[in-house]
Amino acid sequence: MKKWVPAVSGLAAGVLAATVFFADFSPGPKSEAANEVNSNKTNAEKVYVPFGEKDEYYLMASGGHSGQMFIYGVPSMRHIRTVPVFSPDSATGYGFDEHTKELMGKYNWGDLHHPALSETNGDYDGKYLFATDVGNSRAAVMNLETFTTRDIIDVPNTSGPHCAAFVTENTEYMFLPTRFAVPIGSEYASLDEYSETYRGVMSAVTFDEENEKLNIAYQVALPPWSYDLSDAGKKMSADWAVMTTYNTEEATTNLEINASQADRDYIVLFNWKELEQKIADGDYDEVTGQKMIFPEKHKGGIYLVPVAKSPHGVDVTPDGEHFIASGKLAPAMTVFSFEKAFAAIEAGEFEGERNGIPILNYESVMEREVNPENALGPLHTQFDDKGMAYTTMFISSEIVKWDPSTGETLDRVPVQYSPGHSVAAEGDTVAPDGKYIIALNKIAKDSYLSVGPSHPESMQLIDLTGEKMEVIQSAPVNPEPHYAQMIKADKINTISIYDKDESNPYAVYSQDQTRIERNGNEVHVYGIAMRSKFIFDAKAERPDVIEVNEGDKVFLHLTNIDFDQDITHGFAINQYDLNIEVQPGQTNTIEFTADKAGTFPLYCTNFCSALHQEMTGYFLVKPKQ
Amino acid sequence: MNGKRLSIFSSIAIVISALLIIFSLFFPWWRMEFFAPQYPEGLNIIVYPDKLEGELDQINALNHYIGMQTFSEENFPELQYLNYLIIGLAAIVLIGAFVRKKSYLYFVISLFIIGGAVGVWDLRHALAYFGTNLDPMAPIDMEPFVPPIIGENIIANFTTYSLLGTGTYFVIAAFILLLIPLWKERKQ
Repeated sequence: MKKWVPAVSGLAAGVLAATVFFADFSPGPKSEAANEVNSNKTNAEKVYVPFGEKDEYYLMASGGHSGQMFIYGVPSMRHIRTVPVFSPDSATGYGFDEHTKELMGKYNWGDLHHPALSETNGDYDGKYLFATDVGNSRAAVMNLETFTTRDIIDVPNTSGPHCAAFVTENTEYMFLPTRFAVPIGSEYASLDEYSETYRGVMSAVTFDEENEKLNIAYQVALPPWSYDLSDAGKKMSADWAVMTTYNTEEATTNLEINASQADRDYIVLFNWKELEQKIADGDYDEVTGQKMIFPEKHKGGIYLVPVAKSPHGVDVTPDGEHFIASGKLAPAMTVFSFEKAFAAIEAGEFEGERNGIPILNYESVMEREVNPENALGPLHTQFDDKGMAYTTMFISSEIVKWDPSTGETLDRVPVQYSPGHSVAAEGDTVAPDGKYIIALNKIAKDSYLSVGPSHPESMQLIDLTGEKMEVIQSAPVNPEPHYAQMIKADKINTISIYDKDESNPYAVYSQDQTRIERNGNEVHVYGIAMRSKFIFDAKAERPDVIEVNEGDKVFLHLTNIDFDQDITHGFAINQYDLNIEVQPGQTNTIEFTADKAGTFPLYCTNFCSALHQEMTGYFLVKPKQ
Repeated sequence: MNGKRLSIFSSIAIVISALLIIFSLFFPWWRMEFFAPQYPEGLNIIVYPDKLEGELDQINALNHYIGMQTFSEENFPELQYLNYLIIGLAAIVLIGAFVRKKSYLYFVISLFIIGGAVGVWDLRHALAYFGTNLDPMAPIDMEPFVPPIIGENIIANFTTYSLLGTGTYFVIAAFILLLIPLWKERKQ
């Protein structure tokens, strides 16, 4: 009779319990409105990201001769952060603490050109960003969990790795070709011996992810030309890479004129798997401690493809079947076919040799020439999700959209002014997103409020979803982005707090472990920073004082024990020209000599709390007797 | 009649009650949530019978400004033995399913009520202790306060919410399950 009562009440209780435990009461996902067709929105709506929401893409723009990386959000084009790589940055203590001082080596600046994100199967994996320094011939890697530079290496025998970095499909290698030819080892040699003794050395760099270390696997002593842009193959061409050259005239002065004489320069087409095999087989010479392939001696795997003179960009299509290059003075882009190139190599069909490297016939590799009317100065090409190409025109100051499979010009949009590179959403991967392209303009001129003769550069966001390309936002940017990478934000997984590392001998995580140890004229401080005090020695009468003798060497290990998001502490000593930062949970070390006797206040430089102003102490240096 | 044994139904209710008590050990019994303009995501103190969870380090770092003592498991010796008391209580409840006597059930219920009262007193004592023993040297002078066991309180830029945890609801359910036999087997 009444058996249904317990049954129903039992069920009801079960449902209630299940709801309490498993139901998601958090506010539901943003409505479908977010995915609404862009065309219904005004340009302002397309770029407005209200508080509480985040940008859809990260833009990682090279900072050129600032030596830094600029991180922007797209579509808002808001500058989020500047990450120092090759230049010191007092705001983050970069180049002051021990690790970053060591990374910087003896250099004070760098010229950060082309950044490249690490890839898995030809698509960005969001783990690392590589960059090169044209100014002082170095390569760097940035970790994208922390957006900090983890390693920098000097690249010997090379001068100005400009077109790098570009990575192979699974980040097996990052190749660093050189902009300037120099004798091996940068030895002195008269410019009269340029053709004989100078070389344009390309380096194959590997990355050890576990130890976050870069390493030079081998080098290739290419002819003494200038190497410009490059790209790795994809899919069917994954074992290959291409790079443009100029000054194949081997001019040694007034390159503007003398390197512009020949009608054709070359694209170097090389099979990195074959070069890797050569190294494995010992088919190389050991030079300056590097495994060096000399193409005229260790033959094979490297070919030259004639191209319109003085080319800049060379870009592989997302399907990996073609590469596109253009002379920057010529009006036309050329679509080359990997398949045709492979066939010609297979058949041994060459038109000659330069420096022992076989030259393929232009006609046998070229698929089509594309010549949009009055477009001038094609520099660099990106792609969208349908495989359409977008090429920046430096001289005619526009981006031209065209179809690589037909050569048809589809659309053009003027930009202000003179775009060098452009970057489309994941536009150099096997799977571009379409949606956006950003023109990285070299000239801002009258675009923004004037700040005098030194102008910002300008980045312009272009919407690709409509019928016509449309510039929807412009953002000034510090000098000066060359190339950039645009990656979907959800591929990046950052941390906000460093984990405790009990194995770190320099870390102290509790106040009672803080101490100052003296060892001869070395003073080792194991201190903590917390809201709102420094504790260097908890047992001292004044725990926030460091007292040393003039001439002592000071090693300060400082741990931020505020394990709380965005509670960063800084540490500076008045008049001692040093400043470091410690992020939540991080231990950082600074070494210096107390070479000035006197009384020097020390303080937290990064605003941390309501009593930040009180987060101070003294550094007392007793004068020598 | 006192001499009459409780029904099988009542025994089952008592067994379930004991199981719920054991079950409650795996869930928090009480929590306090802290919200401030700078902490829209909230900070938590989550109290289990044998441990504290939540953003204790952050809360302690902030509390030192008002001179509050540090929350840590060491400051709550109860956490060392509370779960044994709870297991013991569950065992005593379970025995009731086999003894099947109303008198024993009254004993268990009394024990329950005393235990509950002691628990509430202990929590209130802790809240009062932390809220009123503020270091007079602290940078921010603050009137002593006692946050409620359940409900809202405002301390400086923080609004706190005290809530019973899932474990406590299990124990309340366990208690109700002990009352049911008394109702079922009332004198007709």
